[in-house]
Amino acid sequence: MTTEDDASLVVAGAVSEPGVWPEGNAILHSSGRPTRVIGPPAFSLMAVLAGLRTLFQYSDLLYTLSLFRLNIRYKQSILGWAWAALQPLTLMCIYTFIFAHVTTVKTGGAPYPVFVFSALLPWIFFSGAITNAVHGLVTYPNLLTKMYFPREIIPLSYLAASFVDFLIASGILLVLMAHYHATLTWNALYAAPIFLVLAAFTAAVGLFFSAVHVRFRDVGLAMPFALQLWMFAAPVVYSVQSVPARFQKLYLLDPIAVLIENFRRVLVFGTAPDAAQLAFSTGITLVALALAYLYFKTSEATMADVI
Amino acid sequence: MIDLRLDRVGKKYNIRGNGSSPRRWYRSVWPSRSAEMWALRDVSFDVNQGEALGIVGHNGAGKTTILKLLSGITTPTRGAITIRGRLAALVEVGSGFHPELTGRENIYLHGAMLGMRRSEIARKLDSIIEFSGVSQYIDVPVKRYSSGMYVRLGFSIVAHLDPDILLLDEVLAVGDVAFQAKCLDRIAELRKSGCTIIFVSHDLAAVYRVCDRALLLNRGQVVMEGAPRPVIDQYQHMAFPSDDRGFKELDAGRRAECTSIAFTSSDSDLSVRTGSPMVARLSYRAAVTIPDAVFRISLYWPSGYLCAQLTNDSSGHRFTLQPGKGSVEFHCPVLPVVPGLYRVDVSIETNGVEVDARQRCATLCVEAGKPVSGDFYIENTCSVRPESPTI
Repeated sequence: MTTEDDASLVVAGAVSEPGVWPEGNAILHSSGRPTRVIGPPAFSLMAVLAGLRTLFQYSDLLYTLSLFRLNIRYKQSILGWAWAALQPLTLMCIYTFIFAHVTTVKTGGAPYPVFVFSALLPWIFFSGAITNAVHGLVTYPNLLTKMYFPREIIPLSYLAASFVDFLIASGILLVLMAHYHATLTWNALYAAPIFLVLAAFTAAVGLFFSAVHVRFRDVGLAMPFALQLWMFAAPVVYSVQSVPARFQKLYLLDPIAVLIENFRRVLVFGTAPDAAQLAFSTGITLVALALAYLYFKTSEATMADVI
Repeated sequence: MIDLRLDRVGKKYNIRGNGSSPRRWYRSVWPSRSAEMWALRDVSFDVNQGEALGIVGHNGAGKTTILKLLSGITTPTRGAITIRGRLAALVEVGSGFHPELTGRENIYLHGAMLGMRRSEIARKLDSIIEFSGVSQYIDVPVKRYSSGMYVRLGFSIVAHLDPDILLLDEVLAVGDVAFQAKCLDRIAELRKSGCTIIFVSHDLAAVYRVCDRALLLNRGQVVMEGAPRPVIDQYQHMAFPSDDRGFKELDAGRRAECTSIAFTSSDSDLSVRTGSPMVARLSYRAAVTIPDAVFRISLYWPSGYLCAQLTNDSSGHRFTLQPGKGSVEFHCPVLPVVPGLYRVDVSIETNGVEVDARQRCATLCVEAGKPVSGDFYIENTCSVRPESPTI
């Protein structure tokens, strides 16, 4: 042991030249060692940019974690992946019964199952991702208190997992549309950018509330209730056209309402989306995402202390 | 070259309101001053590349806070930390495992959490599995693992991270003996390759053995910095204040008590060395006459096992102590124990009844003297006696 200690002492003594960057040195495993400075949490743009850079460095973790989320989710369950289809299908059945048989909702000519399912798709993506993301950070407090990695990866990985469920359910929608002889038009391609905005808005809401939830568990308690209200506030089971004109302006303020309505429009009705509405929602989404990320990164610094 | 620098780092915790109590939610937004606790205050130090720095201190002195700050789990309230290179923390290994995932999947997940790329993990996968020694069960969910397997797999991943800076926190205390040896080998290997090490431990002997330099923390402040030996001595002086406080008077009714203990060498440099003579002097104070007195000085390994005991009982020679102060000396012509730190217990008995017992009241530091392999130095003389050739 002594000889080893002596050898290391020599190493420590030999490289005391300040400011000299050893290049190609055998003792450096990674060439060009990055230097990091950790300071007190600050509400600054530079910190956010640095956070984005770190997030990019950890992109493999986001991928791995999302993959395993899917892997874990249906472990030890008999129905497995069928659950991804079962939830929207069941909801579709009950809403069809209520809004097509008990009472009648104007759908603008579309069969009600297709009408409601095409809105349930984005809605379930949104609500599922938010619910999981909000609880995600506090489910494994060990991850927060014992290790470091960009924390936003946890809520974002739930978003990615929800996306896969969304794809599965999308397949069901196509089957359903074929069954009701509804045809897709080229306008259906607009679904992709609409979904992109939806994902960004989901990320904004998820990041913000998951960070708040670490501090105030009220968020998690209020979440199921709030999401239920939000669903009925958005045109999921009904159409915006059925809403009295004086309320229609209010729907513009809710990106979820706009995105769902337009998602249904391009897929089921095959008409072009309302570009002005979408542009406005995209604007709201981008601002919300920037603010949510800023809040998340500022809050992240002391997350391990308060959890 | 400096790998790590802490510049006047302070960390404040809000120990009361954490937002979980709904009636006091406003407290967590505007915490009252009394709820603040500074875990670290004005801590500054540098660590050079390839250096091993030990951090010692009582529980709550701020050691864990430093590790958490360095690994980025939390951020300082004041000051700045500069880190050059890839830092890996060997702190509570395996805490990032997901119980439902298999060992192999957890390697990918944990590796990614530690900042490894998937390609890097894929390249090192076989080596990680091999090193962990759980290859048989690598495709079994880790919730079926024993705690030992858990830790071995966790360590194996961190050991393959090729860090520039390694944080160690009591890792040597987990796992079985074979695993500990493996850990130590790997740590020695990393040290040889120029890895900088920050070692936080209560195992002072390990700090003494591993580190070039040590830091003593007390109540969130650096109170001493320097060579491991004097820092550890100072820590132990604080932990078990010898002379005055460690041997404080207990109660008036006691018939006799130990007042201090000193270990000296007959050499001029006064340090106690393996294979050299040692004198242990135990001072006592007796209130009444103590017949049949037996003194015991017990030396414990860092592991807590009894290593050796000095007592006048073994020689059958008992003393009668007169009221007043005095001391008893044990002369050891050859100290057989290996270099290291030993915890010391002392006691006085009379007629088989304990009069005073002081546990962990001092520390014996034995320095390297005659070369030893194994647990003890055996005093010997050696000669060669060739058989007389037949004529």
